[in-house]
Amino acid sequence: MISISKLLCGLDAEGDGLRYDAAGESAKPQITDHKQRRPVVVWNLTKQCNLSCSHCYAAADTETADGELTTEEGRRVLDDLADYGVPVVLFSGGEPLVRDDLPELIEYADASGIRPVLSTNGTLVTPDIARELREAGLKYAGISVDGLPERNDAFRGRDGAFDAAVRGIRACLDAGLKTGLRYTITERNAADLPAVVALLHDEGVDRFCFYHLDYGGRGAGIVDADLSPEEKRAAVKQLCDLTRRYHDHDDEIETLLVGNYADAAYLVEYAREHLSEARAERIDDYLRRNGGDPTGERVADIDYQGNVHLTQFWQNYSLGNVRDRPFSALWDDESNPLLRALRSREQRLSGRCADCQYQNICRGASRLRALAVHDDPFAPDPQCYLREDEIAPTV
Amino acid sequence: MAEQSNWSRVGEQPRDAVDREWEVFVRSETTDPLQHVGSVSAPTIEAARTQATALFGRYATDLWLCPAADVRRYSRTTIDERAVSIDPAKERDERGHSA
Ligand code: SF4
Repeated sequence: MISISKLLCGLDAEGDGLRYDAAGESAKPQITDHKQRRPVVVWNLTKQCNLSCSHCYAAADTETADGELTTEEGRRVLDDLADYGVPVVLFSGGEPLVRDDLPELIEYADASGIRPVLSTNGTLVTPDIARELREAGLKYAGISVDGLPERNDAFRGRDGAFDAAVRGIRACLDAGLKTGLRYTITERNAADLPAVVALLHDEGVDRFCFYHLDYGGRGAGIVDADLSPEEKRAAVKQLCDLTRRYHDHDDEIETLLVGNYADAAYLVEYAREHLSEARAERIDDYLRRNGGDPTGERVADIDYQGNVHLTQFWQNYSLGNVRDRPFSALWDDESNPLLRALRSREQRLSGRCADCQYQNICRGASRLRALAVHDDPFAPDPQCYLREDEIAPTV
Repeated sequence: MAEQSNWSRVGEQPRDAVDREWEVFVRSETTDPLQHVGSVSAPTIEAARTQATALFGRYATDLWLCPAADVRRYSRTTIDERAVSIDPAKERDERGHSA
């Protein structure tokens, strides 16, 4: 996750800069000792969802899957994650709120020293549920909206989904939950972006996470709906401009980018052009410490049936299953040559990424998109939108 | 016999909900043991092979695929709530040996 507001406007928001490395936010001693070493774990609690979004990476549907992890198995998984020093668990789905034991698992994670956060479509969040989640120890709710009402509802496969999500956002905010927007940018909804920010900002939302489309789950079927690299560059520039405009008016909104570390390189270029060389260098410095694309290192995924994945989007390859072996053992097992290679990918990146001057803050961006398009996990990310002159090594 | 005790058969719960799941094994040199390196989801064996070779082809001289649903798993540490513990005495009886 890359914070535009922090990098361009110097906003010092909670947990900033340690998004996928939010280790410092946990109370558990071993977590702070292993700061930034352990992954944030996305846990897709269920396959079931009350919506049917066209870009769903989990390919969720209206039914639960056979063999979903039970509450007790979930507790055992959380025990392992806590002992391992995982700082944050992001409860996701499907729609996690269709599981009755969600508050119980949140409470268990919180008591174990793991920071529980939630990704939801928001449509099932009532004031009572929001209060219950907050009391269980939930620290943050990210609610998905993907465009203005008509477009969002078409994307999500349900009329009224936009209004229901806004009601959910209101309920969370009223319950005192920190709440933010999740917005997956595609060719269909990029134009709605400023209007959605304005609308939700009026509702009291001040944190906006923009996701690039990754090519897993149903997302793989809509590669064609992704922006072209040029359009992507324009959308990210628009977000940078928008963030600065809000901040210029003392509206300190927080804006974040997820899913394409070429954005890191672009932010340095943006600062060089619109701010100053010194600022660009500071941003470069900061991003270098952040570590680039986190796949297989600082982010992990456990799906509803216990399969462990390299990111939440990379669902068609699994390192193993937590019913066979603890997550910590699977994640530490670098005898797996792919895991080992991803963690030292600098030596393996090919094509334009191999000599890119931004390789150390980007790390080749999405390996899943490279695999989906080039059949090679170390080929260039097809969604890198940096120009050749920008990535050329400096002499 | 200690080696016969505390085993459970891991529940035969599906590990795939979209496509079929295929366990992947590779050997990098002919002198190496075969190693389990995870699983891929794919509708057919051909699609599974394509995926597995894209991920592991560069590290392997041998690559084996096995439908995950056809694997019998026995464990002493599984967290699987549906795991069934194995009773060695009963098994011996069933094989027709005296206890
Ligand atoms: S060329 Fe590769 S390493 Fe450089 S910014 Fe683009 S994706 Fe990142």
